[in-house]
Amino acid sequence: MNELANELARRYGARDWHDQRPNLASVWVDAIRVHDSLAWLKDSAGYVHLSFLTAVDNIERKAFTLTYALRNHEKSHGLIVHCDIDRDNPTIDSIHLLWGQAWTYQRELKEWFGIDCPGSPRKDEEFVLEGWDAPPMMRRDFDSLAYSQATYEDRPGRESADPAAHMKQKLYPEASL
Amino acid sequence: MDIKDFIAPFAVWKRAFEKPFTVKKPIDDRPGAPRYRGFHINDADKCVGCGTCEAICMNKAIDMVPAPGHDAGPGDSGLRPRIDYGRCCWCALCVDICPSGSLGMSNEYVWIDSDPEVFRYTPGVEPKPWDGAELGYRRAEGYRLLDEHRVDMPELHHAEAVKSFLELVRGYSRQQAEKEADRCVSCGVCIASCPAHMDIPGYIKAVRDGELDTGLRLLYETNPFPEACGRICTHLCEEACSIGTGGDPVAIRWLKRYIADQVELSDYAKALPRAEAPTGRKVAVVGAGPGGLSAAYYLTLLGYKVTVFEKDGEAGGMLRYGIPEYRLPYPALDKDIGYIESLGVGIKRGVSIGKEITLAKLRADYDAVYLSTGLPTAYGLEVPGDKHPRVLDGVAVLAAATRGEELRLGERVAVIGGGNVAMDAARTALRHGAKVDILYRRREQDMPADAEEISEAKAEGARLVEKAIPLEVKDAAGAYAGKSAIFVWNDAVMVQKEPGKRPVPEPIPGAVREERYDSIIAAIGQGPDLSFVAESDGVPMKRFKPIVDADGKASTGTVAGAPVFAGGDLVNDRKDAISAIADGHRAAVGIDRLLGGKGA
Repeated sequence: MNELANELARRYGARDWHDQRPNLASVWVDAIRVHDSLAWLKDSAGYVHLSFLTAVDNIERKAFTLTYALRNHEKSHGLIVHCDIDRDNPTIDSIHLLWGQAWTYQRELKEWFGIDCPGSPRKDEEFVLEGWDAPPMMRRDFDSLAYSQATYEDRPGRESADPAAHMKQKLYPEASL
Repeated sequence: MDIKDFIAPFAVWKRAFEKPFTVKKPIDDRPGAPRYRGFHINDADKCVGCGTCEAICMNKAIDMVPAPGHDAGPGDSGLRPRIDYGRCCWCALCVDICPSGSLGMSNEYVWIDSDPEVFRYTPGVEPKPWDGAELGYRRAEGYRLLDEHRVDMPELHHAEAVKSFLELVRGYSRQQAEKEADRCVSCGVCIASCPAHMDIPGYIKAVRDGELDTGLRLLYETNPFPEACGRICTHLCEEACSIGTGGDPVAIRWLKRYIADQVELSDYAKALPRAEAPTGRKVAVVGAGPGGLSAAYYLTLLGYKVTVFEKDGEAGGMLRYGIPEYRLPYPALDKDIGYIESLGVGIKRGVSIGKEITLAKLRADYDAVYLSTGLPTAYGLEVPGDKHPRVLDGVAVLAAATRGEELRLGERVAVIGGGNVAMDAARTALRHGAKVDILYRRREQDMPADAEEISEAKAEGARLVEKAIPLEVKDAAGAYAGKSAIFVWNDAVMVQKEPGKRPVPEPIPGAVREERYDSIIAAIGQGPDLSFVAESDGVPMKRFKPIVDADGKASTGTVAGAPVFAGGDLVNDRKDAISAIADGHRAAVGIDRLLGGKGA
């Protein structure tokens, strides 16, 4: 597999190859070269299958990390290609022409993270969140508690006790301290 | 309408007897994956009701509710989480954060009911079919959102510590303190276990936020001895800490010390409240220990003129004369006392009630009297020969060490007892170069001393002789006569006489042993000295203790003169500094209420 690592590095500047286990490795490329590297992996290196595509919000370094999971069935080997994109301008080349099903993942990315893949079919349509009018929910700065409280009514009869206050009431109610 | 549209519905009948493509009731045959996040389960006996699950829930799906069969008590709020499945998103953060590890999720995901109100229940309390499910989501082994290990406290190595009276515990740096404070989940379950009910989550948050003035103010709301308690408190709070259910409890005591250590005494006044306008009333406090000075502090804040009468040459009581300086350095204690004095509290040192002044005189000259005289009288060994000149009183040895007197303990020292005074006497003797045996009538696990005191005494070189029942003290023979004593004891075996009660030591017939010691330090407990209380003072007693009401008031009001309040070791059974401090605070509020102050 080191040949593949070297070839990816030579062709696309890939770096940080890491063998996670004998049949799975990961590698990083720049976002601007991710489409070309994936195309080469599919057409020339046997990674014909796109298992999935997802993202992680690395808010600390102001980046979304995209993760493309590929599989070479002949060699029974998986390869995960990572790339970072700017969190303030989250756009990445669409790969739906490489793998037909990719548009579904890219539509999901748009809804859940706000990551745009220009040209990807139906990318702006609702995916699973019908009528969603808040910021993308998988962004880590999305305040799900505030959204939940603003959007949903409390079920009637709900009450919660503070442990310290409850213990004072039960164990030392007379204390004036 | 096309004829095909009319016929098409009937065309499906041709499939009526074929094997169906669908599976009948597939949900019966499709269990969730082994780690599926299904309905919650909770080991309600393991859960302590800290509410950390509620705090982390991003959908406000959890309420903490009283649970039948689970009463509030030390380290358990008596509350249990109730899940609202109208809001739960099955993220399992509640399971991942749970300090005790009691909360989990079954892999059951089917629950059908026509009433939407039922989809809310208290796992582990309200029975459900998936209770006890082995499959489902649990926090993975080794995966913790909370740090289970406390930040190590820098300490002198025992081999080094035993050479001097330098303080053992060095204290946290800012970085260490903030990291340790970050372990606290602010559940507040610890507050009930603290006799003074200190705002522990509040001052730990202040450490976390770097707001030490706020932290100091919170400490002084209930405890004017943060330097002392930050070092020697019995820290019942840590036994109740919810983090301790799955790791090391938060180092609450060390964090209290950190706050007090970091703020200079000259800056205290800026952070702490000022006294209210003078009421014109005077209160006498007998005993300048932590309880008496605590009462004096809070009474002064309430506008009373307070005078404290102390029989010893310095204030501090057992904190000064009963605790060696390697555990509580005198400058730290002086800082606590110094601030109380700076508010105008007058301390009359070297004045013994019953000798220089009577209680009746105090009751005539003041508007109220608070007794906090502690337990100054040491119990004797109560065996033949216990008046031998080499049999010493443990508290007296510690007091002599405080006063800087020459102890002359000799090379071989026996300490009889298993409490903190015994451990401190042993460690003091070790620091004077003696070889020390600690003899205790029960087992190590029965010793009333703090576990860390026992382990440190052993680590410093003391030999522990368990199950040793004192029989006799004899004078040594030959050249040692009059200079050393023979301690005779009977080896014992522990016998469970009554079920549910602790086993008692029974002497083993014939197993009598003896050793020669240069000093035998008796540290088997102390009692009160209430010889200064006359019948005419109207203070009822029971088992040599003043009987007090909920405010700490001891006198019945049937005799003329100022009311008498009492607290501290003299009254309570805990016999530790923080309980005395809590008593002092309680009495201050009670006195204020009785004399018509704000609390009236």
